[in-house]
Amino acid sequence: MSNMSVSYILRRILGALFTLWVALTINFLLPRVMGGNPMDYIASKNAMGSLEYAQILSQQFGLDKGLFEQYISYLGQLLRGNFGISYSTFPVPVADIISRAIPWTLLIVISSSLIAFAMAWLLGIIAALKKGSVFDNIVVGGAFFIQSAPYFFIGMLMLMFLGYYLKWFPMGHALPSGTPIGSPWYKLIGPVTRHAFLPVLSLIVVNLAGRMVMMRSNILQVFSEDYITLAQAKGLHRGKILGKYALRNALLPSFTGLMLTLGSAVGGAITTEMIFSYPGIGMTIMNAIHSQDYPLIQGCFAIIALSVVIMNLLADLLYPLLDPRVVLK
Amino acid sequence: MGLDKYILKNVKAKIGIGVILFFVLVAIFAPLIAPYDPRAIAFIPWQNPSFKHLLGVNSYGQDIFSQVVYGTRVTMMVGIFAGLLTSLIGVVVGLVAGYKGGMTGEVLMRVVDVLLVIPGLALMIVVASYLKSMNIANTVLIIGALSWLWMARSIRSQTMTESRRDYVDAARALGMKDIEIMFREILPNIFPVVTANMVMVITQSMLTEASMSFLGIGDPMLVSWGKMLSVAFDNSAIIYGAWWWLVPPGLCIAVLGYSFMLIGNSFLDVYANDRGGTVKL
Repeated sequence: MSNMSVSYILRRILGALFTLWVALTINFLLPRVMGGNPMDYIASKNAMGSLEYAQILSQQFGLDKGLFEQYISYLGQLLRGNFGISYSTFPVPVADIISRAIPWTLLIVISSSLIAFAMAWLLGIIAALKKGSVFDNIVVGGAFFIQSAPYFFIGMLMLMFLGYYLKWFPMGHALPSGTPIGSPWYKLIGPVTRHAFLPVLSLIVVNLAGRMVMMRSNILQVFSEDYITLAQAKGLHRGKILGKYALRNALLPSFTGLMLTLGSAVGGAITTEMIFSYPGIGMTIMNAIHSQDYPLIQGCFAIIALSVVIMNLLADLLYPLLDPRVVLK
Repeated sequence: MGLDKYILKNVKAKIGIGVILFFVLVAIFAPLIAPYDPRAIAFIPWQNPSFKHLLGVNSYGQDIFSQVVYGTRVTMMVGIFAGLLTSLIGVVVGLVAGYKGGMTGEVLMRVVDVLLVIPGLALMIVVASYLKSMNIANTVLIIGALSWLWMARSIRSQTMTESRRDYVDAARALGMKDIEIMFREILPNIFPVVTANMVMVITQSMLTEASMSFLGIGDPMLVSWGKMLSVAFDNSAIIYGAWWWLVPPGLCIAVLGYSFMLIGNSFLDVYANDRGGTVKL
């Protein structure tokens, strides 16, 4: 801890809180400038467009009050963990919808990020060690090509070949239709894995491509530093240098990357969930936007902002512990 | 400034430029190449590829090959203009934040951090739904206005390294204004990094346009490659086994994007070699 002062920690925490506050404020303002009146929408759905009904709803949701008053009550409610009531699935609380969707998103995003990172480290190390070899060229070229293709195109191809033609995996959703609610968990493992396989695979492919190239260039950069040259001059074997000196220093930057990926995990899978009709947060956001469900959009964004900020903060605080070279004021 | 070093002597860059030129020609001569009107609903739906319809006919009865040819125009235009706009913002913010440092730099980077917290795609959807109608200019503006964050970071860190070099001190000693130093001294020196970033951002913009089309935002009248993919997906091309509808537009984006990346990478390689090390974006 010697390289990390109390004032550094405090400043990071304050910075994170500030970032969160700004994000939440933007979050409050955006749907309100979006236009359209969601109350008319609910009224048209539930009460044949009755004006009185729409007005009563506006009062209930506090939309007839001034913008500032709404803002204060929005922040106050958030602090108490109350995200409000969803407009489109009135009167289900937003928190319920989000807590039902989040586990699915976390499942596919966290498992894919961890697998992709492990594979990226491995491939990146081999490619860096064999720089300029056929393997290196193929892996790096392939990674750049995958990064140039639209992600949803890769997802569609997988869906078409592995799902439709080969019928190895289901074409969508998180569970087979008709799964009874409250089935014991051991009966769900099989179907959940089968349904999550394609979304996870597509995310692995895409994440792997980006991470691998980064890992490779991290290692190459470390190899160009003086202490590695010294180790070589001492006659140490290249593999030994890698294990003893280079690997640790090359892994560090990608640790931050991993934290950031996990932080953006909650919001990062909109397209994935659209392709594989996977019932996570991304799907929830899309549906909420289509039905102008402000509280639900705001709830999702707030959760996303919170998780990104927390993971950023953790990365900032843990990094100095892992890398003693970093001196912080 | 020795452009031949970056392009003429570099095989990767030459391949990239060759492919891009090919697509530029296709875009320019689209009316001559495409056999039919891309939007005309004139044929029996769901036809397999044949000599009459090289890539078959889609579910609406439109010729897919003609759509791919015309789609080149839209995708390239959005990619290049949005990429240029992104680069303009990214370079200015990055240069100022990196060179000025202090309060200005801190505030600018805070703004970047805050914006990075919000998922870009979701933000684009919200902004797009606020606009009354989407056209190609709106698409370019939205992509440009929301995707400069990473580039600003990259240019900032490069500028910070560059600011410590002797020529910047010399320029300052000569009494040059800050703005002159930034744009006349530092910018030409980090030009390869800017260019590499720019071509990568162009690829990124083409991909963003595709994602926007896929998520249902974007001009419904424009036939871009992303739009084709999205329409094919929405009309169950997968369970009709119509790979000739899905694969060509997707592959075109990937190949064109890859050629831009090839150019970017080769620029970075040369730049890194000149400075005796690796440079990261």
